[in-house]
Amino acid sequence: MKKKFNLMRLPFLVILLLLNFSVSAGEKLVRGLGPEPDSLDIHLAQGVSALNVLRDIREGLMTLSAAGQPVNGVAESIDMQADDRLAIVHLKQNLNWSDGSPLRAADFVRGWQRAVAPTTAAANAVLLDSVVNAKAIRLGTQAIDSLGIRALDEYTLEIRLNRKLPWLNWLLAHPLTYPLADSLTEKTEAVGNAGHRNGPFNGAYSLTSWTPNDRLVLIRNPHFHSRESVALERIEYIPIPNPNTELNRFRAGELHMTETIPPARFNWLKENYADELKVYPYLGTFFLGLNLRQPPLAGNTNLRRALLLAIDRDKLTALVLAAGEKPAFSLVPPGLGEYQQQYPGGAGQQQAARETTAVALYRQAGYSKENPLHLELRINSSSTHRRMALAVSAMWKQNLGVVTRIVHEEWKVFVNNRNQAVITEVFRGGWIGDFPDPVTFLSLFISDNVQNWSGYESLRFNNLMALAEDQANPKQRLQLLQQAEKQLLDDVPMIPLYYYVSRHLVDQRVSGYSDNTLDIHLSRYLDLEQR
Amino acid sequence: MLNYSLRRLAWAFPTLLLLITVAFFMIRVAPGGPFDSEKNLPPEIEQNLNAKYHLDEPLVQQYFRYLGQILRFDFGPSFQYRDWTVNQLIAKGFPVSLSIGALAMLLSFTLGIGIGTIAALRQNSVLDHGLMGYAMLGISIPNFVIAPLLILVISVYWGWLPSGGWEWNWRNMVLPVITLAMPVTAYIARLMRGSMIEVLHSDFIRTARAKGLSEMTVIRRHAMKPALLPVISFMGPALAGLITGSVVIEKIFAIPGIGSFFVQGAMNRDYTLVMGVVIFYGALIILFNFLVDLIYAWLNPRVHYK
Repeated sequence: MKKKFNLMRLPFLVILLLLNFSVSAGEKLVRGLGPEPDSLDIHLAQGVSALNVLRDIREGLMTLSAAGQPVNGVAESIDMQADDRLAIVHLKQNLNWSDGSPLRAADFVRGWQRAVAPTTAAANAVLLDSVVNAKAIRLGTQAIDSLGIRALDEYTLEIRLNRKLPWLNWLLAHPLTYPLADSLTEKTEAVGNAGHRNGPFNGAYSLTSWTPNDRLVLIRNPHFHSRESVALERIEYIPIPNPNTELNRFRAGELHMTETIPPARFNWLKENYADELKVYPYLGTFFLGLNLRQPPLAGNTNLRRALLLAIDRDKLTALVLAAGEKPAFSLVPPGLGEYQQQYPGGAGQQQAARETTAVALYRQAGYSKENPLHLELRINSSSTHRRMALAVSAMWKQNLGVVTRIVHEEWKVFVNNRNQAVITEVFRGGWIGDFPDPVTFLSLFISDNVQNWSGYESLRFNNLMALAEDQANPKQRLQLLQQAEKQLLDDVPMIPLYYYVSRHLVDQRVSGYSDNTLDIHLSRYLDLEQR
Repeated sequence: MLNYSLRRLAWAFPTLLLLITVAFFMIRVAPGGPFDSEKNLPPEIEQNLNAKYHLDEPLVQQYFRYLGQILRFDFGPSFQYRDWTVNQLIAKGFPVSLSIGALAMLLSFTLGIGIGTIAALRQNSVLDHGLMGYAMLGISIPNFVIAPLLILVISVYWGWLPSGGWEWNWRNMVLPVITLAMPVTAYIARLMRGSMIEVLHSDFIRTARAKGLSEMTVIRRHAMKPALLPVISFMGPALAGLITGSVVIEKIFAIPGIGSFFVQGAMNRDYTLVMGVVIFYGALIILFNFLVDLIYAWLNPRVHYK
């Protein structure tokens, strides 16, 4: 009999025991991270969350300012020579890794060579294709040491490029081009890929612990070259894929910054968290792709333009999505310096007039309310996409009489179908730029690009893009790109709907936070007012 | 008894093998692969990746390669979380899932048996109806309704307990354990009430009462053990369900358990992670059912295993 009573006391004993484990939390900055990082290996990381952590714990030749502009990181200065196709990079003196070992030019050579090595199979390796021999190495036809980077001495790097690269500074700030410590390489070979969690690091912070789906703890790196400017001692990144959970935790005071917000709560947050809510244009465009390889959309520009004009984007963004998105008629989002935004033919009028034009074009294409177009709109399931699809199909129905069938697919199924481009008609598209340069958007539609889901093939567009690539004069280059985009938009291989915005909640005690289009906020610039 | 146990254990292996085989081929039939994403990979990089993970081999060859790995207890590297092996991920997540599941089991076991017994003793009273009404609510209101309510009131409005996240600390466990335990408690309470009422009407209880034993002694010495039998047989699947089926709870409370890997793994076509978790869960469930059968035999004098 006694036995049973002991059993019943067990829960209380367990709870008593656990009481002793409670740790009091000191002052630290706690940031929501979004999804669990896919990898903290600089060459394998692809997800936004992984890249954000990497930017805190590692640093390249260039880094980003609080305003999201490239500034010198490990590099002291960069001399461009030979028509900007040769970069001589001088490193800062006496740089160290977080374990105290010296960081030298050779660490960059090692990193870049591993980035393009076929055995690494780095998804982002194409970013380095402008470096001499990078592509050939990636394809396995050249030896790794033929890569166009070498250490002239301990503090000087020479980088050779195939052509002038307008976004070189951004590339040098991308985690793919970060240095790689010798000791890390050995560790990595030894234990799967685990070495990348253990360092050494060369960023403002060192990663001290990482529990998947729980948190990543970062501690200030005493060997960082600008350590005196880093305010916070400890940063915790909490991966929370569900925005509702993240919002709860912010409201309960457990997070200082969120990665995003639940879109459906946007208006509520605007009212109740006006000072904390930060909404800012993000370097990305949402569009509907059109499959040009098969009927009914192939070879029917009038029809495609009718579909483009019949959507009321103001209504869509203000009433249906209602989470800060901006109406879009172009592929390249606004805010890219001198680049002038382009618009497809017929877009530059009031919505009512656009709809009239749409009806006329629809008729010319051979359709009418009596003889309607039957169309399939394919999306990957998400509440935002569902509302978007319903609104778009309603607008097509109302203005043109199009009968739309919405097909929901699970993410991987959708991606697979979109790539094959065999059964798709209209599908969800969208793109977030790697760098703030029009090329990262426009190159998607070059005929042989793997992302060309529409199967768009325009000789003129391809030629303009090629000319822009070879154009050394920045102004003329942008003009060529503008012409290319105008051609693209007039051919309507996709229907731009809105520009993305970044959305965060930031505690009012956090200082040093600065909105920027890249939506990158390095922890080294942030501070937390003590309570 | 020993003979029976050994035979049961021997059966576990073909069961597991069947599970592995079915799961292995099922996940491969699902469209899309681990490396499909928003950004398409250039074909040569995709080839390199496939070669690296042996995905370019014929499926049957991959299957036998995988079986060979499992024999060495090696679940392989995760395709999605590329800095971790599946073994590491399970090792990190399981203690968390286990403690939440076990605590919830203890809580629902103690509460459920208590409530069920009291309700049975006061059959058809107001107390009985009240408790059973609560139990009905507990069974019918889903987790994903209770959890956000608890978070909103207790964490956001009152600020008493954290709304989510994980520390090895009771404060982070209270809400998830309560949420997880609620429906199971209710179920056990109803089971217990039913079987207790039945036992209380049986002949040996009348005999015990006729001997002049106090009501408390009758319940503790004579009624409790047989009344527990249905609860015990429910315990195996319930415990497996609590430890493995806390996916929703883990998501809402942002708990780094194993359940989230299950869902994320399937969504990401993370073949090795899904397989690892399936095999691990499968083995656990087989183990729990086995243990429950043993306890059942020990409690019930009428059951004899040959």
